Amino acid sequence: MSWLTDPFQLEAMQRALLATVITGVVAPVVGTWVILRRMANLGDAMAHGTLAGVGLAYAAGVNILLGAIGAGLVIAVLLLALSTNRRLGQETVIAVLGTAFFGLGVVVISRLDTGVELSHFLFGRVLTVTWGDIWLNLALGGVSVITVLVLFGELRLATFDHVQAEQVGVKVELVQAVLVILLAVVVVISLRTVGTVMSITMLVTPAATARLLSRTLRQMTLLGVVFGVGEGVAGLTLSYHLDSASGATIGLVAAVVFGVVFVVTLPKRMPHHHRPMG
Amino acid sequence: MNDCPVLEVDSLGVHYGHHEALYDVSFQVGRGELIGVIGPNGSGKSSMFKAICGLVNHSGVVEVNGVHCHDHTDRMDLAYIPQRSDNDLNFPISVGELVLAGRRRFRHWWQRPTGHDRVVASQALARVQLSGAEDRALTELSGGQLQRAYLARALAQEASVVLLDESLSGVDQPTTAELFDVFESLAAEGTTLLVATHDLALARRRFSRCLAVNGTLRADGPPVDVLSAEVLDATFGSAGHRVVAD
Repeated sequence: MSWLTDPFQLEAMQRALLATVITGVVAPVVGTWVILRRMANLGDAMAHGTLAGVGLAYAAGVNILLGAIGAGLVIAVLLLALSTNRRLGQETVIAVLGTAFFGLGVVVISRLDTGVELSHFLFGRVLTVTWGDIWLNLALGGVSVITVLVLFGELRLATFDHVQAEQVGVKVELVQAVLVILLAVVVVISLRTVGTVMSITMLVTPAATARLLSRTLRQMTLLGVVFGVGEGVAGLTLSYHLDSASGATIGLVAAVVFGVVFVVTLPKRMPHHHRPMG
Repeated sequence: MNDCPVLEVDSLGVHYGHHEALYDVSFQVGRGELIGVIGPNGSGKSSMFKAICGLVNHSGVVEVNGVHCHDHTDRMDLAYIPQRSDNDLNFPISVGELVLAGRRRFRHWWQRPTGHDRVVASQALARVQLSGAEDRALTELSGGQLQRAYLARALAQEASVVLLDESLSGVDQPTTAELFDVFESLAAEGTTLLVATHDLALARRRFSRCLAVNGTLRADGPPVDVLSAEVLDATFGSAGHRVVAD
């Protein structure tokens, strides 16, 4: 038992635990829609791209979370503006933006003489979480969860059948824009805990695991939160004992759980390949 | 047709870039009409439906119950049932939630479905013989049941005009016959239905009026006139004539 409780005797680890729980709740709530709308690529690009904001904020001596928010919003706006180009397609624009912003972040951070390694930003440095970060994450996370809950019906309609959704009055493009912004916010919230690169893990993997087990959207959202918090806390505890990067360890735990659930549910999913006749 | 048309289309045209998918389509539809829209693949049937619903940019005028198409609220009085393959059937949405989606036009984005909405949705499901299917997943429905569920959504929407785009493709004959029974009873109650189909034999048997579309409106009238050799040649080439002769 002490193996589980020992790590959290330290105040820094208590703050880390709080940050991990916040991420574990918020990321799957938004991630559910990222998966259903098949936006994981965008999440990945956003996760990498926010490094530019982190680097620039670090250089300017500003809170890196604010820098990440700025970069996320700039990427979101550019994406919405550029993806209207039919010659390119959204996937191409996502790849260009993600790599460009990631490159900018790497260049800026590698030119800084801070003594902080690039890997801390990429894979998280959960012990550096401050109470200020936690309050900011709590505020951003709270707004994100409330936004998803309020827009739950609109998200469902716009995602399942955007044509009919428009027909009955749903502002489909506005819903998409809100979701892109929420995605940026989740990346920011995940920053300290799992880092920019691994934030896509918290966004996608718990919700994807929940998708395998659930029939309804509510089940998927709630199960995603259970997996997100459980995997986050388990990964954090393991990283303490293994002295490994918290983000990478949480990512590994989430991937193992996904793998197990995928295999266990395989027989259950097979009958759905055969639709009833008539 | 009644004096006041439910749907009025005047000089409708659709362009995709430099490609002209549809030009100069004009017709009027009265309350309670059941109309077949025929034409080969790529003839512009789907473009016409999407333009009528305001889902693609178009020239010309569409009026629903006398309201000009540039006023978005009139579009909500149209229900559009797309081709079967357009939606992800693995999406975690139940039949009941699908049908309730039709009620969205009667409330604001922040409001939840009311008890009345649920009653109307339940009645719509009963109307298409899907009572008790509220909690079933879409993957558990057959092709014909799925089309009925979409039809129930259109009923819950209480739309004056229902546009069905190739909805009967891949549905077996008994189920098609059952769906037509529902179409006819809806038409008898005043709902106007436009059904796009490739099945010319079906069009001849079950519709009172047909529109032949291929780039523009080739013919508009009773099946006996629209399915004439001359019109079919203009719409389908020789293939159409052979099909209807069968």
